[in-house]
Amino acid sequence: MSNALVMNRRARRRFLRNVAAGGLGFALARTPGVAWAQMGGGGDFPDYRALVCVFLFGGNDSWNMVVPRSLPEYNVYATSRQNLAVPQASLLPINLVVPDVAGWQYGLHPSMAGIAAMFNSGRAAFVSNVGPLLAPVSLTQYQNRSVPLPPQLFSHNDQQDQWHTLKGNTLSKVGWAGRVADALATRVTAQQMPLNVSLAGQTLFLAGNATVPYTMGPTGPTAFAGFGTTGANLARRQSFEAVLQTSHPTVYEGAFADVQQRALQFGDGIAAALATAPDFTALPNAPPAPLSSLATQLRTVAKLIATRDLLRMSRQVFFVSTGGFDTHDDQLNDQPNLLGNVSDALQRFDDAMQQLAMSHAVTVFTQSDFGRTLTSNGDGTDHAWGGVQLVTGGAVAGGRIYGQHPLIRIGARVNTDRADDVGGGRFIPTTSSDQFAATLARWFGVADADLATVAPSINNFAQRDLGFML
Amino acid sequence: MRRSINKKNSRLLSLACALLLAACGGSGGSDPEPAATRSPPPAGPPPVTLAQAYKFLNQATFGATEAEALRLMALGNSSTAYARWIDEQLALPATTQLAYVQAGLPNPIPPGFVVDILNSQRQDIWFQNSVRGPDQLRQRLAWALSQIMVVSQGPLSGYPFGLADYYDMLARDAFGDYRRLIEDVTLHPMMGRYLSMLGNQKPNPALNIRPDENYARELMQLFAIGLVELNPDGSLRRDGLGNPIPTYDQPTIEGFAHIYTGWSWACAAGSPANCTFASTRATIANQILPMQAFAEQHDTGSKRMLTYAGAIRTSVPAGQTPAQDLRDALDNIAGHPNVSPFISKQLIQKLVTSNPSPEYVQRISQVFNNDGTGRRGNLGAVVRAILLDVEARRDPIVSTGAVDGKTKEPLLRLTQLWRAYGGSAQSGRFVTVNAQGTFGQGPLTAPSVFNFFSPFFAPTGEIADRGLVAPELQIATEYQNTLVTNFFFTQVFNRNSRSGVTNPDIVVIDIEPEVAVAGDSAQLVTRIAARLLGAHISPELRGQAVLSVNRVAASNPTQRVAEALWLIVSSPEFAVQP
Repeated sequence: MSNALVMNRRARRRFLRNVAAGGLGFALARTPGVAWAQMGGGGDFPDYRALVCVFLFGGNDSWNMVVPRSLPEYNVYATSRQNLAVPQASLLPINLVVPDVAGWQYGLHPSMAGIAAMFNSGRAAFVSNVGPLLAPVSLTQYQNRSVPLPPQLFSHNDQQDQWHTLKGNTLSKVGWAGRVADALATRVTAQQMPLNVSLAGQTLFLAGNATVPYTMGPTGPTAFAGFGTTGANLARRQSFEAVLQTSHPTVYEGAFADVQQRALQFGDGIAAALATAPDFTALPNAPPAPLSSLATQLRTVAKLIATRDLLRMSRQVFFVSTGGFDTHDDQLNDQPNLLGNVSDALQRFDDAMQQLAMSHAVTVFTQSDFGRTLTSNGDGTDHAWGGVQLVTGGAVAGGRIYGQHPLIRIGARVNTDRADDVGGGRFIPTTSSDQFAATLARWFGVADADLATVAPSINNFAQRDLGFML
Repeated sequence: MRRSINKKNSRLLSLACALLLAACGGSGGSDPEPAATRSPPPAGPPPVTLAQAYKFLNQATFGATEAEALRLMALGNSSTAYARWIDEQLALPATTQLAYVQAGLPNPIPPGFVVDILNSQRQDIWFQNSVRGPDQLRQRLAWALSQIMVVSQGPLSGYPFGLADYYDMLARDAFGDYRRLIEDVTLHPMMGRYLSMLGNQKPNPALNIRPDENYARELMQLFAIGLVELNPDGSLRRDGLGNPIPTYDQPTIEGFAHIYTGWSWACAAGSPANCTFASTRATIANQILPMQAFAEQHDTGSKRMLTYAGAIRTSVPAGQTPAQDLRDALDNIAGHPNVSPFISKQLIQKLVTSNPSPEYVQRISQVFNNDGTGRRGNLGAVVRAILLDVEARRDPIVSTGAVDGKTKEPLLRLTQLWRAYGGSAQSGRFVTVNAQGTFGQGPLTAPSVFNFFSPFFAPTGEIADRGLVAPELQIATEYQNTLVTNFFFTQVFNRNSRSGVTNPDIVVIDIEPEVAVAGDSAQLVTRIAARLLGAHISPELRGQAVLSVNRVAASNPTQRVAEALWLIVSSPEFAVQP
């Protein structure tokens, strides 16, 4: 970690106070004043773009999300998946704008009508057999461990971290969206709230070397009780703040105080902006039936996008999540609800973006620990590696499956089936998470020269941009 | 406990006799020397101070109180008091949850009754035991173990009795053998259900069925040895190229997955008449019974296990029963050298400090390996060693950037406030707090098997830059912190002994001693600091607290108390444990 990016606590507090007082609204990074003054070429972004990461915790069984529906591919799939196979007749057909190289046809899980409709109108795409890789890997190389592999394959937290950080064997406390925010810090100088925002708790994905993300609840920040702008309530807030600004003898106190300061700094402004947001037809404030947790988070994201100008935002990365995808048991019962919720929530959000005429500016993408095994334990599946991710929005070159969707065959081999099975129906990815991230980062405004910082293994792959963004 | 007090009294008596040189008539014999020629006794270890007592009790209980601190200080001096307190605690049996939760089941059970609601009963008794229970150290350990060997209400909310019994099992095993603990954990149906060992079938190649690997993986990764080989001091072992060394590989996981086959819900009261692997199901009775083995679904091949120096066996032979395979597997895992640092370091992190020195970890690993009597995995001895270690007992180092201590778990800030301030409801129950929602943690409510926070979490900034960790800060987000601060606001301003609360279930804190001195702001803040912080308060916090009191008229003593108490409770000082 470069010393230039470390500022002693007192200086940083002075800096933050000056920023707040002067209303500069600099992206509240830990960059020292010197680097800021050196911002060269580019200036602030003239347009607005947002990335929304939807993390599917547990490892989505995406081989049941996108399914070959033509013969004989479907039968091969059904033989592999046995009782966990989705019935052919129930698959929702999707039409490929660019046909599959072998003419295979595909369908979606029956609970994903929303995504099917978006796909067929060109506002959704899939990226197939994508997963963490440090470099392309053949089956022999995997078996001999003769090339570097992401560490601890098949372990939940490690693979979540790999998706978040793309850091391979390097210990990392920084996520790729954090590095994106670091790279763009000099082009968002007017922003009044942090570029990276989580609505789903702390996440490594958004942490940068300098950038500190902000976490709000699923419906936005919560106001401090007993604080106000006049009288006793103001005095109480000032005492609270004075206590935070004293020097703290341990690192734990200091870090805790920093979080409280950020809560004070940003909570009111964000809440005030949210209060002016419109009501969305597809994500109503007072829906007839409660929205799912994912839809609730996305509604808040929609509101923040709607009110972006109040806080002078031009680039934002949002992190939302939904869980329950670790289907070791009851997969047949659970998968319809899991995938149905994703489809419904993303369709509602797409609708809201169209209502705002911002669909072209907002791209939603999924990430998940891993795909799952083709073999089962009787009523569920186990941890695997490559899988299928979803990308939606008006800027997506939709109606296509990017990468190579494998033949869903236990024992698959890449020269006949497009991917290698390392055992139990676990595919070696043929597209890397680095390529996935770099494609999104480029669209978001990261310069080509900075892509290798965001996606550290990108130079090991032939295609830096997978082409799924218009 | 009674025995210890008598011992203490007799020691005091001996000390008094020696000092006073009176003829106490103990052993009879020669006259005592004349006072003038007797040399003064050597200076003994100093007494325990209030601040030191608070530091210890915040490590060993659900929150220091003045009464317990004074009692600890009277047990002996800084060389003896802590050990005596621990020994008292080691002798106490576990207070339990199950009976209380069972009592919540209506009789007869009305139609449409959803048993999940008894989880609020379960949370209620957890608070009662944690805030009031005499076996504080054991309960604190059970809480720590429940965050390592995690099961969670999420998918298990239909088994409130099973969940209560799981926690009781942790409490009963907290000072026992590690090997016994992981066997009880492995066979508990709540763990079986949570990590898919329950109902795990033997292979069926025709149907592409192979045994589930969930438990095989997580038992090793999270409950026993971790992902990479460790030195006894907790540091990573490295190969010739400087890379960490994985502790297991995929074939080993598959070996264990095949061992953990054939277990399911026990056949007991309420089970089907013809109770088999396929037909057995959860009942009220068997959710608190160990899983039962059904040989017809057990894979009987030979299976690979862990290989390490000193392993008694590295595979199980073909033809063993489910129980024999399981016994060999748990022996194999528990015997791995990683267990000592892996478990020791996490317990240190849960009780004392997030960043122990390697030497501290090594000292505790050694106790884990051998408690002094040749026993390995004696958790009671390990806990004792953790709390008595020089690194746990030293006074806070006063310099910026110090790493002693840790962030308190948010829920333990609440239990400490309630313990220190007599938090209780008229009904005696604790049912008006949503622990998981407000504090980010609750009894057996973790969002996943990876607990509320990771042992490796480091927030961006100095902690990450220096390679340190602060696990509890993972749930100290802007959002969660505000919810906690607001809860304390309501508790302090609106739910104190002067608030006139009539709802019998609302927990009220007793501020009468503070109200009595509210007229003098300095004295008031001193009182609060003693009660909450063991009198160890920074000048800045004290100054702001006094200012906040002086803003309120003397005619409103309750509000004067509330302003100062809330400011201190919501301060970074109270949020950490020195």
